[in-house]
Amino acid sequence: MNVFAGVGGGAAATEAGTAGGGPVLLELTPHKIALCQLVHVFAPPAQAGDGPGLPFPFESVAHHNRLGLFLFTLTRSCEDFLEPPLEELLRQLKAVDDLANDWLCGQLTSNLTELTSPDDLFNFFDKLRGVLAAPEGAGEDDVYLDPNSQLGVFLRCCILAFNSMSFEGVCHILANLVSYCNAADASYDLAEDEDYDTEMSNLMDVDIGARAGIFDKYNQGYAAESHIGESSSALTHAPMSLHDFDDANALKTDDGPTCLRSRWQLEAYLNQQADVLEKDPSSVPLNSFNATMTQLQTLAPELHRVQFLQYLNALCHDDYVASLDNLHRYFDYSAGMQGLFTRSASPSQDIVVGKYESALLCLGNLHCYFGHPKKALEAFVEAVRVSQMNNDDSCLAYILGAISNLLSKIGMSNTVEIIGSPYSLGTNIGLGTPLSIQQQLLVLLKRSLKRADILKLPSLLSFDHLSLAKFDLKHVQRPLVSFGPNASTKLKTCPADVCKNLRLSSRVLTDFGTDVLSTSNDNGSFSTSWLRNLSAASNSWCSSSTKSRKLQKNDFDNFYYHAQPSPIPAPVLQLAGSTYLLRATAWEHYGSAPMVRMNALVYATSFADAASQSDLSLAYVKLIQQQAVFKGYSAAFCALKLAEKKFPSSTSSHIQLLRMQLLHERALHRGHLKVAQQICDEFGVLSSSVCGVDIELKTEASLRCARTLLAAKQFSQAAAVANSLYSTCYKYNMQVENASVLLLLAEIHKKSDNAVLGLPYALASQSFCKAFNLDLLEASATLTLAELWLALGPSHARRAVSLVYQSLPMILGHGGLELRARAHIVLAKCHLFDPNFLVSKDPYAVLDPLTQATEDLHVLEYHEMAAEAYYLKAMAYNHLGRLDEREEAATSFKEHITALEKPLNEEDSLSY
Amino acid sequence: MASAKETYRAELRSAARQLGERCLYSAAKWAAELLVGVEPDAAPAPSAAMDSPSSSSAASGGRLLHLHRSGGSSFRHRPRPGAGSSSEVGTPLGGVSYVSTPIPDDDAFDTGGDKYLLAKTYFDCREYRRAAHVLQNQGGRKAVFLRCYALYMAGEKRKEEEMIELEGSLGKSNAINQELVALERELSTYKRTGSIDSFGLYLYGIVLRDKGCEGLARTILVESVNSYPWNWSAWSELQSLCTSSDILNNLNLKNHWMKDFFLANAYLELKMHEESLKRYERLMGVFRCSGYIQAQIATVQYNMRDLDEAEMIFEELLRTDPFRVDSMDIYSNLLYAKESMTALSFLAHRVFLTDKYRAESCCIMANYYSLKGQHEKSVLYFRRALKLNRKYLSAWTLMGHEYVELKNTPAAIDAYRRAVDINPRDYRAWYGLGQIYEMMGMPFYALYYFQKSSYLQPNDARLWIAMAQCYESDPLQMIEEAIKCYERAANSNDTEGIALHQLAKLHGMLGQSDEAAFYYKKDLERMEVEERQGQNFVEALLFLAKHYKSIGRFEEAEHYCTRLLDYTGPEKETAKSILQGLKRARSGFPSMDIDQFTRCGRRFLMNKACGQCSPDRRRKEKNSSEGCAPLETSVSMSPVGYFPSFLHSVMLSVCILAIRLHIAGADDLVRMMLASSCWSVATKRTRRLHGAKMSVTGMIQIPNSNSGATMHIAFLQGSESPTV
Repeated sequence: MNVFAGVGGGAAATEAGTAGGGPVLLELTPHKIALCQLVHVFAPPAQAGDGPGLPFPFESVAHHNRLGLFLFTLTRSCEDFLEPPLEELLRQLKAVDDLANDWLCGQLTSNLTELTSPDDLFNFFDKLRGVLAAPEGAGEDDVYLDPNSQLGVFLRCCILAFNSMSFEGVCHILANLVSYCNAADASYDLAEDEDYDTEMSNLMDVDIGARAGIFDKYNQGYAAESHIGESSSALTHAPMSLHDFDDANALKTDDGPTCLRSRWQLEAYLNQQADVLEKDPSSVPLNSFNATMTQLQTLAPELHRVQFLQYLNALCHDDYVASLDNLHRYFDYSAGMQGLFTRSASPSQDIVVGKYESALLCLGNLHCYFGHPKKALEAFVEAVRVSQMNNDDSCLAYILGAISNLLSKIGMSNTVEIIGSPYSLGTNIGLGTPLSIQQQLLVLLKRSLKRADILKLPSLLSFDHLSLAKFDLKHVQRPLVSFGPNASTKLKTCPADVCKNLRLSSRVLTDFGTDVLSTSNDNGSFSTSWLRNLSAASNSWCSSSTKSRKLQKNDFDNFYYHAQPSPIPAPVLQLAGSTYLLRATAWEHYGSAPMVRMNALVYATSFADAASQSDLSLAYVKLIQQQAVFKGYSAAFCALKLAEKKFPSSTSSHIQLLRMQLLHERALHRGHLKVAQQICDEFGVLSSSVCGVDIELKTEASLRCARTLLAAKQFSQAAAVANSLYSTCYKYNMQVENASVLLLLAEIHKKSDNAVLGLPYALASQSFCKAFNLDLLEASATLTLAELWLALGPSHARRAVSLVYQSLPMILGHGGLELRARAHIVLAKCHLFDPNFLVSKDPYAVLDPLTQATEDLHVLEYHEMAAEAYYLKAMAYNHLGRLDEREEAATSFKEHITALEKPLNEEDSLSY
Repeated sequence: MASAKETYRAELRSAARQLGERCLYSAAKWAAELLVGVEPDAAPAPSAAMDSPSSSSAASGGRLLHLHRSGGSSFRHRPRPGAGSSSEVGTPLGGVSYVSTPIPDDDAFDTGGDKYLLAKTYFDCREYRRAAHVLQNQGGRKAVFLRCYALYMAGEKRKEEEMIELEGSLGKSNAINQELVALERELSTYKRTGSIDSFGLYLYGIVLRDKGCEGLARTILVESVNSYPWNWSAWSELQSLCTSSDILNNLNLKNHWMKDFFLANAYLELKMHEESLKRYERLMGVFRCSGYIQAQIATVQYNMRDLDEAEMIFEELLRTDPFRVDSMDIYSNLLYAKESMTALSFLAHRVFLTDKYRAESCCIMANYYSLKGQHEKSVLYFRRALKLNRKYLSAWTLMGHEYVELKNTPAAIDAYRRAVDINPRDYRAWYGLGQIYEMMGMPFYALYYFQKSSYLQPNDARLWIAMAQCYESDPLQMIEEAIKCYERAANSNDTEGIALHQLAKLHGMLGQSDEAAFYYKKDLERMEVEERQGQNFVEALLFLAKHYKSIGRFEEAEHYCTRLLDYTGPEKETAKSILQGLKRARSGFPSMDIDQFTRCGRRFLMNKACGQCSPDRRRKEKNSSEGCAPLETSVSMSPVGYFPSFLHSVMLSVCILAIRLHIAGADDLVRMMLASSCWSVATKRTRRLHGAKMSVTGMIQIPNSNSGATMHIAFLQGSESPTV
């Protein structure tokens, strides 16, 4: 979802940002008049007598600049959809500098209250015009306000708005001014019912939150994370109080006319919210967010994007009906009409929203998200048709990308003939022979790639490269036409292709600067964070919190690192980040532990702020898995605890799965079969019941089931499960999984003393691994092969030892604890079995690996194999005649055997 | 009985006076109308204020008799409540089951009566703030109420003005009544201290509703109507707050006879038409001459698509009350559905002269222009209606229809969507949305809307048929789902018989010939009952003949073949050959191949000769004669001879031209010819939705080469041109 979200949702979200370029339509509000007043103070009209220098209240250039920066920020920030009340403005003003603030605030309020008649307003704006008039002797002095600067444009807009205002409008402004000035003392308590409603919605959210374990997070608020050392009292008054409905600002609608920010600011605000939703949906409470959006909608009924946000919100909270509803509503209102989206800077940007085919695209994505592959495909096919009808090439490219995303994500067996319709694939390929789903997927991907390239859609291009890499990782690219004598078929995956695609994909980072994406850069978030810091600082300063010593210096110009907006838009970062995640996965397949760690670490450190919650958790999962494999369970569980704190397990399915995986592994190793079985059952329950959906989860569940049965020595059942799993994987073309299933089958036969039967499976697995470049798995298969040969009798020991030596470099270099221990044991076994080998001649060839194995296995708490190792050790010592050590090894052997056969306190296995 | 009526009269009389004194004009009007509507006694009481001329009462009596004759059984076996109506538990009218509410005595002449008088005159002159100012510092509930009410009205007036003044860049419509806060504070204090009367409660209720506290508003309004049930405004506010039947059923209402009016109206709004009709008919027993009840009954009947009945009532209503504008928009909708142009123009003229700046009047004029085919003007008037009343639901929907006619898709979608957002239960707007998306070639997207509409109106065959057609459409081809929908439609009284025919066809396509035969037979029976004949009839006969032949039931097959012989056209020949085959089969003649060969050959010759049959058709017949399912792409069309004579000449020539072109293989030309009228399918379906009856007499399907969609040319009864 998330990789694609960068294309679908994310691109939609960045849309309005492109419409920037200053306030186009400006509505005069009291807040703006106050700002004008401040600008007037900042840059008073040049008077003939005045020499160059600072205007009256300012003492230094820095002092003067600080106010300028503040004013600039105020006109750009987009923290909320409502303009701040006077009280808030004064507070911020005080925070900007405490030297002249009393004078400034007093001046501001008195000036505002003086505006009581229409004529006052006329005079006021007349006075303002003087600010803009270029002084005669305009030289080097910095007091002169450039009419083309941000503030100058703002001022001009205000003056223009006032001049084009009717008398009624002037009267309104006056009325609003009165309520604006009196807002501080007019603290009218809301009607009981209203309070009750909002309380209810808050309560409901809290309920959900508590259930989801995000209660704490909610209390801290979203802003809390970005401000260290901010006291909680400061937070409630922070202007950013997104979901704080007790905050009187948010519900001032009853009190009088509320003033919206300018359209540009509103859109930027919505973008911000969309980003938050995409990044971390659990931090946004469903109901109060909807309440905010509804309120915004009543205030600005023409702003249809709000409905899109509501759709996103419902989607993130898995509310099918509501999301469907909002999606349709949004497109009913906005699609086809030129309201919001035509003002975008580049024509290629408005493909994502504003047309009916994009409605279908979104609908398809929605169904895809909720796991309705058929419906999703219907929607996509229709989208393809409509966009072809409307000659909407870019949308078509996106749709093709979406279809391939669907096909790759949702397992579709070849028997399902869904995209047999001519619309999706055209007729020029295929030559009459039906294509397999994989081939269709490849064709779609390549087409989408080509279109994206032609149409210059960098994010889609990057996404397609990613998908291609994913495809190359797991599938052999068969040629579409394979007949004739010269048709050479290379039945191997090509890591170079994967690498190439991954590199091409992250080129989006370099491309974006010269491309359309860069236009969506400035969306006011910089100003917003500046303001946020300001208020945070001022609050902690006022309350003289002991923690924030750093802030006491009143050093607002220093930004926190994390508060600084990244110059690269979030969707681009996300895409670039996902290449690293995919790299980690690729190395996981190819079997290089350090590379996995490195890439996951790069992702977790460099792309964390743009990454969505689930992607980030995936990176953590990879790291913790590595930990478990190389450092044992205690270390892994320590890390897991940390990760769970960061991502509550109820909200992050990745973490939840990881927890179950680790518990299952450990239970198997410890021999706690009941627990293992229980976890297996849980696995089965987690996946969706719809055919083809959650196919990976289902595979994993039955793989684990087979392994549990194997551990319980129910060989025939285990073999049955593995066989059916194999056929499922075959049906859904999951070749990579097949390799491990085959290996498991070989294991089963090995354990059931049926080495002859096991051999073909091991060999098949090995060749699968070779074809897909799964090096580590191949080493493991080779090891199993060696074991199988050994089981056939001592005469094969030489062959076995050569196999072990063959795989040893890979295993020692990249293998985990278990694999290494196994290799050591097999090595020792080979030597012991070898009739030509005498223990007494070279005792350390046997003893060293065994000692190493016992150490590793001790960390893993793997009783069964540890017992085996100790047994071999005891035998070796026996041969050598070192009785004390033999006894010692025998005791250890016994300990492990009893632990395995009579597992104590099995329930412990569920805790960590 | 008479005394009960007298009580009603007394109650209503004082209510009208009291309401009028408090400037609650519309409620007073309602009460007064109802007062006059009470059935006159045999010997009218001397005190009765009713000065009803004998002519009008006689007229209404006559009409009612008329209603008795034709108007459905419910009128007939309604028990006449005699003197002993108290024994009837079920019929509350006039029974003791009502809670009698004492008429509160007026504090008309409390202190400051003169000031009150002044304030009321100010109020009457719409100088609200002045009225409120006069009543400042005046005690007495009446004075307090009028002051608050005047303030509220002043706020409303200002709000309306502001709404026009403030057209912000984002269409900001947050103009609110500035007095609400103060009023709410004051009224809640009165409520707490208990010094509030039922009128004050009513005002408190609407203030709360305007503030958005609907739950509380409902409780307050219930309290108000329980203490003073004659205030119809309070009832209707309460009704507008009851958006679902659950809310309605949970209201704690005292059992007053006004509650029946309320419930009937609420049921009407919630589309529970039967319940509503029942209640209104019961109320008719007492309020015989009430125009309000008649209009409501007519509305219910219109909603139940009982057009003739409703029209009669409306006509009568208009005769007795010629300057009535209320609910005349429904009448105009009805006339529109019946396509009675003259009556509609007459109505439009009349309301125009009466009061042209009312939403209803504008709607009527818009309907008139729409029927005339002048859709731009129609939209203009709908816009005006909506300007007068933004929440005028049906205008939004109807405007959507007009935009469809104007081919302005986005505007149509917008209009429909607004209707849906005002009332999410408006199935017509949902249907309209679905229809537009379907026309835009997005059947999958349209499904959502059709699903919505059929969810709201599950017993409406038309909606199910629309959904089925979506499923059936070329891009989707989800035949199983389509069959399910058609089954639903067939089970819910599909008057036009589309469902049965389609069911038969689809089953035939899937090769389920038993099911197909079953539905063809049913369809045949239906057509026989309705004495309708046409292409479908022939098709059914042909299929059945072949089917029975193939399963070896020769007698039935022969029966259908002989019936086919009554028709001209290629089917007759087919029937003949089938008959011959039957004879041969009976006599044990084995050679089917030769039979088929000769048949095909003959038909080929015949087609060449008459030139009426397309190659597609031949293919289809061949297929089906070989026992295969008929192809979807086949063309079914009625030869000219079948057209009923009422098709006037212009249409006939268009049809002939289309058919000729089609046969000549120039489908592109047909498409071009009919391209301009391709939207009128919407018109037809929309009209059908509003109750007009039409039937398909023939149909051509042309596969569209570009999009793969099939174009349907249907010849409809009562349409001016063939529709595609």
